[in-house]
Amino acid sequence: MSYLLTTLTKKKEIDTIIRDTIDKVLVLRFGRAMDALCLQLDDILAKSSRDVSKFADVALVDIDSEDVQVYVKYFDITLIPSTVFFFNAHHMKMDSGTADHTKWVGAFHRKQDFIDVVEAIYRGAMKGKLIVNCPLPPERIPKYQLLYKDV
Amino acid sequence: MFLKILPGKIKSSVKPNPNPNNELTPPINQKSMKKKNKKQKSEFDFCKVCNRNHDEGQRHKYFPSHTNSLSKFFSRFQNKLTEVRFFLKNPSFLRLELASRNRLWCIFCDCDIDELGSSFACQNAINHLASGDHLKNLKHFLWKYGGGMDRVDAFRISQADIAKWETKCKSLKSEAAPCGGTSQGFPSGLSNDIHKELDYENLNNYEKNTLHHLNSNISNVVMPLQQHTNEYQVSRLEHSGVANVGSNMHVITSTLSVDPCDGTSLWNANNLMAYGNGAVNDSNCSGDVSHNKKGANQDERAFSRENISRGLQNITQISSFLLREAGGNVHSGAPPPWFEETQGDQLNVQLNQVSTLNKSGKLKLNPKRVGAAWAEKRKMEMEMEKRGGIVKSDCDPNWLPNFGRVWQSGSRKESRKEFEFEKQKQPNVHSLSEMPMEIKPYVSKRMRRDEGEHSGDPHLN
Repeated sequence: MSYLLTTLTKKKEIDTIIRDTIDKVLVLRFGRAMDALCLQLDDILAKSSRDVSKFADVALVDIDSEDVQVYVKYFDITLIPSTVFFFNAHHMKMDSGTADHTKWVGAFHRKQDFIDVVEAIYRGAMKGKLIVNCPLPPERIPKYQLLYKDV
Repeated sequence: MFLKILPGKIKSSVKPNPNPNNELTPPINQKSMKKKNKKQKSEFDFCKVCNRNHDEGQRHKYFPSHTNSLSKFFSRFQNKLTEVRFFLKNPSFLRLELASRNRLWCIFCDCDIDELGSSFACQNAINHLASGDHLKNLKHFLWKYGGGMDRVDAFRISQADIAKWETKCKSLKSEAAPCGGTSQGFPSGLSNDIHKELDYENLNNYEKNTLHHLNSNISNVVMPLQQHTNEYQVSRLEHSGVANVGSNMHVITSTLSVDPCDGTSLWNANNLMAYGNGAVNDSNCSGDVSHNKKGANQDERAFSRENISRGLQNITQISSFLLREAGGNVHSGAPPPWFEETQGDQLNVQLNQVSTLNKSGKLKLNPKRVGAAWAEKRKMEMEMEKRGGIVKSDCDPNWLPNFGRVWQSGSRKESRKEFEFEKQKQPNVHSLSEMPMEIKPYVSKRMRRDEGEHSGDPHLN
């Protein structure tokens, strides 16, 4: 858990932050504070939050809280940590070669990777694109298996 | 540049491919090859104008970058020369303490010219610019850096000019000599006299002995200044019934020729002090006044600056000017008088407009960005909240952001509808799924739902 980043536990808080972040990318990390990978991601987020502060805001969402479950469902969060990007209350997708374009699953290898991803999202959003390509090379993108209903 | 055809080695020099004989004649071959292939190869040379090394040889001076640098270079030097030329036409004494400040770097001769030990302003510089060595260096420079040989006269002082200057200097000296002792005794009393009386001799002596020249600021500025003060003097003295004051001012502009006949003393006075003097030529007066208004503000500025540094005598004059022109000066940050009030307002308006434009420019930059409409709307809402205290922040608890779900195809609205539907469908399932969540670190929605359906079906049915 990072003490520098705001942790949200209620739907209202999430709503507020989504609605109030204007012209900036909103990075919402869904995860658990004690999870190892989450900690890793949180560390990177905390360190780079200042660097991207001019065009991005970062917040953490605790998926263990009940209020948040509606979002967990809505966003189809099945693996943690999952990071969802918003811009002006619109959800931004990123095609990183994985199965799920709607969110970023896993941690980042470096700070710079995170910054690059957020920058790509910002640039795409400014141009009016709802989906952007991932600037990272495939080896730095965490791989995962996405379970579908039937599988 | 031309291939040197050496006897017995013609073949080797002509053939591009190295032949067995190449080893024997490598240097010549390579040289000729080089000359063939790279005509322009030359050693590195330093261009003073561009301040860089280049291997373009003689071609360099025709390059546009060089010509640009050259024009800038020359204009800079010309600015410094204008001051020198001013003092060429109006020689004045140089105070010792100020001599150390006057320095000129001659770009053609690459030498520093200082004024230590010179009695007249820019004396050393003038002498240098008229010298034969300087002319030689100047010509060489123009040849090397391509300034145009017709510009020689722009950067030097002709013999005729320097002869004139010398005569003026001599006359200055001779006039200064008898009045040498009176320099120090001119406190405010004289300044009052200057305005009210026309004490020709006193003024002359005073001016000669206290004149000093500031550096580069003066030349262009002082000339119009003189006319300005001239005008002032004219108006005042006319009021006081004294004629021929204005004509004191021999207009020291480059365009008008100065008639030194009535004493260069007057002329010197007019340079810097704008004191009214006695008998002068009438002819020059009319021409002077016309120039006054143009340079008025510059005059005032330079004049006050100059006078402040001068001494007590000038204080009165400055204050009188200030009284006259109560609108403020450059030091107070007031706009110059030629900038009328209306224009000043316009300027402010323009500035404001520019600043707003800048802000709006940012907004205009990305109208197509994602969620632009939402952002605008939200901003308005927030502003209203701030101002009016309208609490709109509590939005619908069922509000969901625009989200494209993972396993859906179709628009995002559809995904939301799907979700709403699912949400309605599984209100009972949720409570049952908590148990499995404890066991597993995380149970996916699918699995949970499947389990829920298995166990919840009887309830639903």
